[in-house]
Amino acid sequence: MFSGFAITGQSVAFFLISLFVIACGVLLLSLRKVMYMAMAIGGVFIGVAAVFLMLEAEFLAFIQVLLYAGAITIMLLFAIMLTRHDEVEMPQKLTAHPVWAAIGAAGLGFIVLWAVKFSGVKWPTPSAESPWQGEDNVKLIGESLFNQYVIPFELVSVVLIVALVGAITLAKKEEE
Amino acid sequence: MEMFTWLDKPMSGMTFLNMALGAVIVLGFILGVVTYTIYFERKVIGWMQWRIGPNRVGPLGLFQTIADVLKLLIKEDIVPAKADRTMFLIAPIIAFFPSFMVLAVIPFSATHIFTAASNVGVIYYIALSALTIIGVVLGGWASNNKYALIGGMRSAAQMISYEVPLAMSLLAVVLMSGSMNLVEIVEAQKNFPYVWYIVPQFFGFIIFIISATAELNRTPFDLPEAESELVAGYFTEYSGFRFAFYMLAEYVYVFAMSALATTMYFGGWEGPFLPGWLWFAIKVSAFIFFFFWVRATMPRIRTDQLLSFSWKVLIPLALLNLVATAVVMTLV
Repeated sequence: MFSGFAITGQSVAFFLISLFVIACGVLLLSLRKVMYMAMAIGGVFIGVAAVFLMLEAEFLAFIQVLLYAGAITIMLLFAIMLTRHDEVEMPQKLTAHPVWAAIGAAGLGFIVLWAVKFSGVKWPTPSAESPWQGEDNVKLIGESLFNQYVIPFELVSVVLIVALVGAITLAKKEEE
Repeated sequence: MEMFTWLDKPMSGMTFLNMALGAVIVLGFILGVVTYTIYFERKVIGWMQWRIGPNRVGPLGLFQTIADVLKLLIKEDIVPAKADRTMFLIAPIIAFFPSFMVLAVIPFSATHIFTAASNVGVIYYIALSALTIIGVVLGGWASNNKYALIGGMRSAAQMISYEVPLAMSLLAVVLMSGSMNLVEIVEAQKNFPYVWYIVPQFFGFIIFIISATAELNRTPFDLPEAESELVAGYFTEYSGFRFAFYMLAEYVYVFAMSALATTMYFGGWEGPFLPGWLWFAIKVSAFIFFFFWVRATMPRIRTDQLLSFSWKVLIPLALLNLVATAVVMTLV
């Protein structure tokens, strides 16, 4: 079923990182204090950045650390502190809900496994004659962003600015 | 020396072992640098304030800091009763970790020793130094003390705000050199017009050095730990070696920021006659001296002026600098 799976440094690292990300995700759901949850989500962000790093997407990895692990986690901390920072979730009553959730998650897992392994999809494999093999990916990202995709890129930045200003305007209005 | 250059070596067991060994050596080196940076700071400020400074322990007081650190290490590690214990214990570690990691991309010498020539070096530095803020905020929050909390909040607001002009002034240098790799930025400063980037980027450098001082929480931007109003800010409740960890992170950043400024604006290890590592040491020491000099000279800025100065003055100027650099680069 999993023939051709070799234990290399890379696959070991991948499993360790995945374990870390999943552990942080589970902690995020199971911890009761909101501050601890914010830390757990920070761990998830850093783990995902490590996965990007393994895929040789350094630029993406460190942008992920900068924006998600750095900025967004701090925004979460701020939001928590400015509201009720000692909030603790009450333990919930026992229901059939977790059973259905487990069945659903396992089912989704099987569907993904089937799609990846057995449905006969051809995945691209890296080859030496790939035109971008060994090139600086920062440069490639910059070139495609500002040549081919310059108009969508600028439109997205306008949308983000509008969202930002809109949020401030709405918050101001509520204050009054 | 050959074993500590890993720029174009495959990742094998031996290289990995050398890297681990190299990290230990850099850690030992940085501890030594921090020890004598603190001594140097006390001496310089003493000299500027017409005092003698530490002069009791060892010749010229050279062992003063070692004695201080030893005292911190054998002190009791106190956790306040009302503090959030887990967070209180791990916050200094979160704060220190990135400060040591950023040293990985600094090109110390011409032979590229101990350097990861990452093609995203500049972003790596900025991204990791942002993680320290989490440790600071967390430490302030977990202490369950109003001074610590205010200090932590101020620190986060200040460091986030000043990170933006810092990054934008560095981007102008990246634009000129065409690379985010710190090794290549140093190399680029050897090419045609043969001047360091301080000359074409003088304006950007001013923005950089102001934001760098604010990032380091040093006077005149030391509001997060303003003794006269906040006791000691976010580490008020800390003692023993957890306190030492916060101080260590702060001084490692002083070194790292000076190294970054040297690399980006002053040609790194480049210079005539002397060997590369010596030039690097001289330039970095000059920057460290500059930070102490400013501390001894300037009064503290007011809280209400702090953030508006960053958002309304520095960021527009940095943007202007970036656009002007881009225009000049296209025309020339």
